[in-house]
Amino acid sequence: MIISSYMRNEHRDCDGLFSTAEKSVIDGNFEEAEKQFLLFADDTLKHFKKEEEVLFPTFEEITGNREGPTMVMRHEHEQVRGLIGKMAGAIENRDSDAYLSMAESMMILLQQHNMKEEQMLYAMCDRVIPQDKKEQTLEEMKAI
Amino acid sequence: MFSQGGLSLEQAPPISVVLRFFMTGAIFGVLLGLFLLLDSFHVNLGNNKQALLTHTLSLGVMASFMFGALFQMLPVIAGVVIKMPTKKAMVVHLLFIVGLSLQLYAFWDLSTPFIYFLASAYLGIGLFYAIFLMLKELIQIKDHSSSSKGMIYALLSLSLAIFCGIYMLLSLGGYIDGSLFTQIREIHYSFALFGWIALLIISVSFQVVEMFYVTPKYPLFISNYLTLAIFSLLILKILAIFMGLGTELITSLLSLLFILYAGITLHRLYHRKRPTSDATVWFWRLGMGLFIVSMFITILETFIDISTDIKMLSNISFIGFGLSIIFAMVYKIVPFLTWFHLSNQGYIEAPMMHDVIHPKKAKIHFYIHISMLTILITAIFFDYFILNLLSAILVLISFAWLFYNLVYAIRKYRYTQKYTKRFEW
Repeated sequence: MIISSYMRNEHRDCDGLFSTAEKSVIDGNFEEAEKQFLLFADDTLKHFKKEEEVLFPTFEEITGNREGPTMVMRHEHEQVRGLIGKMAGAIENRDSDAYLSMAESMMILLQQHNMKEEQMLYAMCDRVIPQDKKEQTLEEMKAI
Repeated sequence: MFSQGGLSLEQAPPISVVLRFFMTGAIFGVLLGLFLLLDSFHVNLGNNKQALLTHTLSLGVMASFMFGALFQMLPVIAGVVIKMPTKKAMVVHLLFIVGLSLQLYAFWDLSTPFIYFLASAYLGIGLFYAIFLMLKELIQIKDHSSSSKGMIYALLSLSLAIFCGIYMLLSLGGYIDGSLFTQIREIHYSFALFGWIALLIISVSFQVVEMFYVTPKYPLFISNYLTLAIFSLLILKILAIFMGLGTELITSLLSLLFILYAGITLHRLYHRKRPTSDATVWFWRLGMGLFIVSMFITILETFIDISTDIKMLSNISFIGFGLSIIFAMVYKIVPFLTWFHLSNQGYIEAPMMHDVIHPKKAKIHFYIHISMLTILITAIFFDYFILNLLSAILVLISFAWLFYNLVYAIRKYRYTQKYTKRFEW
């Protein structure tokens, strides 16, 4: 379960950064919020890159399925990217209500996305990708 | 396109499927408030007032919200897709409303046996059809999650509760002799309350508590085995009832499991990562607290004689538990779905969640709800006209406020579709 474990930890790290940014917005500390939000955005986008450039293509190559779960996940990544842009704007404008409102949508979107990846896609990856290929995939993701 | 692995919110049914049930729930809630208002003025509510009020609440309000939530959540948390959801939901909805209206009429006017038959037919067909639609898909899941397993047990429990309900309606109408009426009634409410309402809430909570509030996961022994343990105990209860054995031990064990679950949920919420403490968190906390109170009294009842007032306190606490969790869910689901569907349709100006139902509106509802419960509980112990009147008014206000918030969300949705620019993907 090396893929599941590695990717799940990345999800948890992003959750932590997101929550710290949200707390800073609630406290009115926008400088800290901006810092934490940028860390969250960087880590999330890097995580997406690992999936889209390494993990998903490996899964698609082995299963021969390019229009299944990976396509759904890519689509959801786009939705998250769109929201990240809007939330960055809200922080820049020091608009806490808009930020917190978008944070609600972002959290539900991200959590249901993460759940599906953790419960289904990563588990499938761990199951179908051969061990040596799995280790290579993991190394490639770590290198990003 | 999204047929692989049952993976997506994309498979979520149109928002109308969910909202038709939620609106119905709110309207029956208003009706319940009106019934209580009439009752406080000693207006005659027919021959079976208790059944009238109970079913307006349990079916009209609770089942409506729970079916709406199920239609929405099956694709998201169980990966189950119901094909042609709009048409099927409409059929279920119509049969349900007609059947329930007939049933309420039958409770009001006990003199027309044929109405009991019609109510059984409409409600039975409508509810069994909905259960069939959902169970058919759920049992085909290969890798079950704790939620999907629990949903199966909840739907099986509802089937049993309905089956018993039909037996009772036909007995009341004189179509069958009803010699097992007392036993069937006990099975009916055990499966409706503990099996359907509590089991469904528990199953859904395994995923949504973590999803909405970013909490630690439930311990595996709870998420893997709790729903099965509850369902098994309920089945044992049926056997005990028909064998004429005491059910106290089973009821106590069930209540202990519920208390354990509620305690663990409160603990999860306390350790949530997200700092926000909006009304929905408070609804969850209140709901779990009331669940503990209700189950604690249920355990007490098996050991000592308790007064009718304390039994009523247990009932009101259970109702408070169910409604609190329903409200907690509605105030997350409706704003999220409104935003989600509109942005997926390409409306760049799709309202954000706070624009659909602002957290302040949900907080107002929380204050109304807690005032309503406080007065209802006080009215148990002090049977004053003013307290009964006030509690009826608060029930009315609570559901009217929810109705207003739902209408506001629908208007926002329609406004965005009609007057804002759509980006074609």
